[in-house]
Amino acid sequence: MNRKKIKERVGLAALNVFFILLCFVTLIPIIYALSVSFNGQNSLLSSDFSFIPKQFTLDNYRQVLFGEEIIAWFGNTVLLAISTVALSLSVAIPAAYCFSRRRFPGRRAILKCLVLLNSFPAILSMFAIYRLLRSFGLINHRIGLILVYTGTMAVFSLWNTKGYFDTIPTEIEEASRIDGADNFQVVTRIVLPLAKPSIVVTALMVLIYVWNEYIYAATFLTGEQNYTLAAGLYALQATEMSGSWPVFAAASVTVSLPVLVIFFLCQKHMTSGLTAGGVKG
Amino acid sequence: MKKQIKTGVERKQKKGILYSYAWSMPSLLLIALMVVFPIAYTGYISLTNMNVYHWFDFTIVGLENYWRALFVFDSGFLSALVATIVWTVVNMVLQLIIAYVLSALLNIQKLRLRKVYKTLLMFPWAMPGYVSILLWKTGMFNTQFGLLNQWMEKLGFEAARWLSSDLSAFICCTVVNLWLALPFMIMIMDGAMQSIDRSYEESALLDGANWLQRTRYIIVPAIKPIIAPAVIITVFTTFKQFDVVYLLTQQAGAKTGSGFHTILTYAYENAFITNNYGFSSAISIIIFILLIVFSARFQLREEGDL
Repeated sequence: MNRKKIKERVGLAALNVFFILLCFVTLIPIIYALSVSFNGQNSLLSSDFSFIPKQFTLDNYRQVLFGEEIIAWFGNTVLLAISTVALSLSVAIPAAYCFSRRRFPGRRAILKCLVLLNSFPAILSMFAIYRLLRSFGLINHRIGLILVYTGTMAVFSLWNTKGYFDTIPTEIEEASRIDGADNFQVVTRIVLPLAKPSIVVTALMVLIYVWNEYIYAATFLTGEQNYTLAAGLYALQATEMSGSWPVFAAASVTVSLPVLVIFFLCQKHMTSGLTAGGVKG
Repeated sequence: MKKQIKTGVERKQKKGILYSYAWSMPSLLLIALMVVFPIAYTGYISLTNMNVYHWFDFTIVGLENYWRALFVFDSGFLSALVATIVWTVVNMVLQLIIAYVLSALLNIQKLRLRKVYKTLLMFPWAMPGYVSILLWKTGMFNTQFGLLNQWMEKLGFEAARWLSSDLSAFICCTVVNLWLALPFMIMIMDGAMQSIDRSYEESALLDGANWLQRTRYIIVPAIKPIIAPAVIITVFTTFKQFDVVYLLTQQAGAKTGSGFHTILTYAYENAFITNNYGFSSAISIIIFILLIVFSARFQLREEGDL
């Protein structure tokens, strides 16, 4: 009996050690970036490197926040992200409601087509979209990017919200109709509050997509002051990274922080939202 | 009288249908512009010889680009396709095995700090993907101040150029991709394992089933239907992987010399670096057809009843 207990304890301790090591190894790139970002410039190439910064300094962050145009980029990104989320939701919700509740010719065919069309990788559309936007004069224009991002995420938003609407029983709506609610009231007062989880997840996914998208932003926007954070960081590493790796590390940490906060605040919704949606990327 | 009622109902129905179309229109219009139009345009360009020399005066050349992609081995498309398939298989196998083992370990009942470990292991998923990849590129793989080479030097080895040869670039990309993708898979598997009724496993244990047998006959069959959608989605994202390979090795102006391409980075390079638009479009359409066949086979079936 005693022996078994000891064996179990040793096993458990080994397991804990294993997981602590695993977590550490997993986080090495992040910890390293964090430590470099707080480190004085010149200690970087010295051979006695450690994960704890030797000469603690906020210089790199100061340079990121005031030397680069990161504040302008941040503003651009927030504006772009909020507009895209607003536009995405306002086009997706009515469409999703119709596809979920009403029956009309072509409904099934359109739904199936959307899944198939969505498998075309967005990156391969870039050349065609460039030509399209150029003919409307929307290159290097926020509206152009908002349209691109909304269009790219439109199938996902439609499917995700539609899938959730399907799970809301129609009886509730019928009851409110009998009480005299019109269509608009039914949707805004009954369906939307009930569908809040899926709407939040859809909004988050669109937000994170816009926040993390670098290649369209870097191709379609010119002039540093117009960049988004992602495009700016991408340009930063491409042009001057070798000279300023600590600054780049500080910029990476700064850019990641909001996403990390949002992610861990909404972690519970994330998994259910993704798996319930079924159509991703 | 009866007829009148019927036409009234019909009219109402017609109105309902029109309303449905009208309300769906903005969404469908955006999809038409940003998803359907690019595919159609790419299909059109794929039949032309548009490239850097024929920027405005391109002409229709028929299926020549497709012929070149599929039957001229030198074009590089077929080798990129093979590399992508190998990449997908290697990544998926490793991902499934590692995620399985880790979530099995996380589900050992007496592990108290499980939540802490899980949260820490979620970090790679929570970070913006491109930031993580760039941090790996400079922080780990960089020849001068990358951590790997600092360790190598300390151990008395020579500094290596991690991303410059095909094989080592493939391995580095795989490591980064696993790092990025494992948290999601662990989360899914962990959730699936928690939903298994413990009594099955306990009775198997009583019957003397060993770990391998319990895995094979109880756990795997039980979690398979739950994780299937997530696995299929991951197969697609792995097959369509662009960021990892592009940012680590193929960035315009900062190529590391590795020849490892997935089909997406290959198509991108032909469009935006060598400006071979016609050829690149043909590749895009071939990729699209492949993906449609896959998703018709796997994704639509998953959706079941619409």
